[in-house]
Amino acid sequence: MSKTSRTLVTMPKVAAKGEVVAIRVIVQHDMESGFRHTQQGERIPRDIIREFVCTYNGQEVFRADLHPGVGANPVINFFTVATETGSLEFKWVGDNGYTSSVTSQLTVS
Amino acid sequence: MHNLARFSWLWSTALFAICAWADPVGSARQSSYALMSPENRAMQDDPSQNPATFWVLDGESLWQTASGKRQIACATCHGTEATSMKGVAASFPKFVGSALLNLSDQINVCRQTRQEGEPYAPESKPLLALTSYIGQQSKGLPIAIERTPVNALALEAGRTLFYERLGQLNLSCAQCHAERSGQKLGGNPIPQGHPTAYPLYRLEWQSVGSLQRRLRNCMTGVRAEPFALGSKELVELELFLMWRARGMLMETPGVRP
Amino acid sequence: MAMGAVGLAPLFATHATEDEALAAMKALMGTVAPRAGKVTLELPPLVENGNLVAIKVSVDSPMTAADHVKAIHLIAEGNPQPNIVSFFLGVRAGRADIGTRIRLANSQRVWAIAQMSDGTFWSGHADTLVTLAACTEVI
Repeated sequence: MSKTSRTLVTMPKVAAKGEVVAIRVIVQHDMESGFRHTQQGERIPRDIIREFVCTYNGQEVFRADLHPGVGANPVINFFTVATETGSLEFKWVGDNGYTSSVTSQLTVS
Repeated sequence: MHNLARFSWLWSTALFAICAWADPVGSARQSSYALMSPENRAMQDDPSQNPATFWVLDGESLWQTASGKRQIACATCHGTEATSMKGVAASFPKFVGSALLNLSDQINVCRQTRQEGEPYAPESKPLLALTSYIGQQSKGLPIAIERTPVNALALEAGRTLFYERLGQLNLSCAQCHAERSGQKLGGNPIPQGHPTAYPLYRLEWQSVGSLQRRLRNCMTGVRAEPFALGSKELVELELFLMWRARGMLMETPGVRP
Repeated sequence: MAMGAVGLAPLFATHATEDEALAAMKALMGTVAPRAGKVTLELPPLVENGNLVAIKVSVDSPMTAADHVKAIHLIAEGNPQPNIVSFFLGVRAGRADIGTRIRLANSQRVWAIAQMSDGTFWSGHADTLVTLAACTEVI
């Protein structure tokens, strides 16, 4: 797996203060479980994303610890409260130095 | 004897009808999309959940990237808009000159002749990305393959392969997908086998793959030595399958279990 | 069948048992026993392919400073490794409602353990039939 990969964030650009907004994130990653074997019986080493963090204007609002049981190209649907205008940063960290991050702006009225 | 000859038109019509009845035609045709769970259908329908979206995005990047000795991009000749290839995937495989090409073959022809670059290997990530990107531009369009004087022989060769028994299990494509579609095999319903959604993200592969990859899996399934990727047999079978599905709407990039 | 399994055991990963899943849950909860309720876990009852299974977990909670969900853990009884994923929420979440896609190696029971701000644990579970297993394929 390469050190970084594509990500997609689906969330509104605008929300009312106090509104609970739905966020969907998906990242391109094989999530090699470490339980698969080749025909010769060799185990394919684990190579997964281990952690996903969402910070809102620098404050952590959601985190996930991922294990090999998470499917390839992981999707997470979650919610956060629109507290103030600002940026949401989404970061993924994984095995073998993998890291991806993307930022989305949210305008809160 | 005289009576038999008199009614030969009746017997041949009946025989034709029986053979034709075995393979669902017209509006009786159904994409395997209809056999999927609601969750998997949602995965296909929503690009923000469809893992194949990443291949489409990779394809879009490759489309814009200068490549080969001549350092030109697909976009240089074909335009930068993400709709310049509308309808193209729905018209392949087809004869280009004297060669029957599928979309992947055509991309490689362009690479070698226009970009002066190395052809992409079959099932390679760049090739799947480009066929996904181009295929997605035909999404919702009817498959536009017709029998012509040019493709008639190849089409017949493909049809023969479809009806030919193969492998240790001695089964033809038609026995499952024409005669027994809708019945269960190992707990799962047998689809009619229309290639409306390729390239697609197959959950079993955990990756996007081509129709040829799937056909090879089928051949392994009947314990036959699979035709090689890019072989004449596979592209003829692709042509027949696309013709058999003519008029059905493209779903690329699909999701299948 | 059992002898074959023993013979092949060095080659193939063993599956988590109910005991291993319980041990994993205990490691998360310490000495506190979980209560049934508040947690709704949704899994398709029949899964065509275990490689990518949509799962949804929601916890009945006002998500206020005084009463909110701190974490939700998903545990599988039939996977090679029982811990699948842990979500960490808090007041900022607004709603304790998470969806993701997981791998299921077998027909099995999946558990969701919710850790609340008052120190209590609540559990929910869902059973599913998997026609094509994930995790242990030979490629």
